[in-house]
Amino acid sequence: MRRQVPLVLCFLFGIVMMLVEFSPHPFSEGLRAELITWSLIIGPFALVVGVVTLVHTHWIRIRRRVEHWQYSYLVFIGMIVMVVFGLPTGPKNEVFEWLFDNVQVPMEATMFSLLAFFIASASYRAFRARTLEATLLLVAALIVMIGNAPIGDLLWNDLSPVGENIPSTARQWILDNPNLSSRRGIILGVSLGIISQSIRIIFGIERSYLGGGD
Amino acid sequence: MISRKVILLIVLLVVAFGCSYSVAFAQEAPAEVDMRWFHTGKIWIFASVVLFSYAIIHSIYHARGGGNIFIRRIAGLEAVDEAIGRSTEMGRPILYILGLGTVSDVATIASMNILSQVARKTADYETPLRVPCNDPIVLNVVREMVKAAYLDEGRPDAYSEDDIFFVTESQFAYAAAVDGMMVREKPAAVFMQGTFYAESLILAETGNSVGAIQIAGSDSDSQLPFFITACDYTLIGEELYAASAYLSREPMLLGSLKGQDYGKIMLFAGIVLGVILELAGITWVSTFFQGIQ
Repeated sequence: MRRQVPLVLCFLFGIVMMLVEFSPHPFSEGLRAELITWSLIIGPFALVVGVVTLVHTHWIRIRRRVEHWQYSYLVFIGMIVMVVFGLPTGPKNEVFEWLFDNVQVPMEATMFSLLAFFIASASYRAFRARTLEATLLLVAALIVMIGNAPIGDLLWNDLSPVGENIPSTARQWILDNPNLSSRRGIILGVSLGIISQSIRIIFGIERSYLGGGD
Repeated sequence: MISRKVILLIVLLVVAFGCSYSVAFAQEAPAEVDMRWFHTGKIWIFASVVLFSYAIIHSIYHARGGGNIFIRRIAGLEAVDEAIGRSTEMGRPILYILGLGTVSDVATIASMNILSQVARKTADYETPLRVPCNDPIVLNVVREMVKAAYLDEGRPDAYSEDDIFFVTESQFAYAAAVDGMMVREKPAAVFMQGTFYAESLILAETGNSVGAIQIAGSDSDSQLPFFITACDYTLIGEELYAASAYLSREPMLLGSLKGQDYGKIMLFAGIVLGVILELAGITWVSTFFQGIQ
């Protein structure tokens, strides 16, 4: 019973959603919008479960005094402060906005900016010319980097007697031909994979995502 | 078999929804709208979906009869056992990251299917499996799946609900939390399967720095280069969707892969034909595709 109901619902809604994609009739359009609204309604209920889990996880950490358990208090303090200021008057509350703009946004920006350093370390590993493929990658990357920087074209035009804006033209050729064709190959495979996976789910052949119970 | 009560209940629900929706629609339908029930401009897309679906369903039911279906070796999936074995030997946990996708993303469902197979193995080896989630719905589904996997393996005692937990819905806060876990707990194996965005390299590089064996997989083509650079194995695009069939070796799932290959053959034949005709100056193929809306 626990598996049969989701399987039948999955089949029905899967087929309906596929068919309405091909129908411009207002009934179909409205039906699609209605079903999407239904799926959005589930979100807030699940969020309650998420918050309960978060509280439980950190409560256990404090109770068991696991390593760095003190930081779990920060989770509770942050949660309580934001709820106290955000819940009664909404996200336009002055203190709530200040905390969001001056605490959360800079912290997220800090994490994002770490990406620059990680790209440098990852590039160093990827571009070590140990094999033919890695050498090709290195050469292609150098051309794209020089072509992207305005100084590449400037230096080329000043120093080389052959052609104009060759670095940016070469960069564009690499992006439009070898790069785009391989990306499209991946996208075609992904699209077929998505259709295949969807069919398996709609027809109940792939059901491990349903968990246990009969 | 599905009981009659269940079918009746579902039919009643659908009929009730249909009736109430029809009444609401009759009251709200504006006068100047497209009243066609079928978009004729999409007929060829519809036909290709039906054809491809038929190829897959036919292959699935053909595979039910048994028979040996060849599936090429996928290094990333062959390494799953190695990664779990390494974690078991080192006595360190396995970290499974499902990405930032929601439960309605096919890549997340594919990732959950892989997790189910991984959980069966960790249940056997009694290796701790840690799953930080960024979506509460995914969290609930994953808990059920992993619990079922441990039950199926006869090890319900080894299942720990606390190991599958919600972190946050915020992208970089999630990346920070998972990075912190990696640095503190030093997992021996890290799985990153699903939909990833800018956090992919932050996670992969941190995993690399703690010396974990990393198996990644994503359908986000812009993140694949980062995974290929920083991880030991990467499932590229469709390999992610083939993973559950590959790991479980269920004939019906393997059959669907065969159907997928038929789809690829059709596409490839279409591309080759199009290129030849275009080179010969015959442009009806490109005109035809430009006409599809």
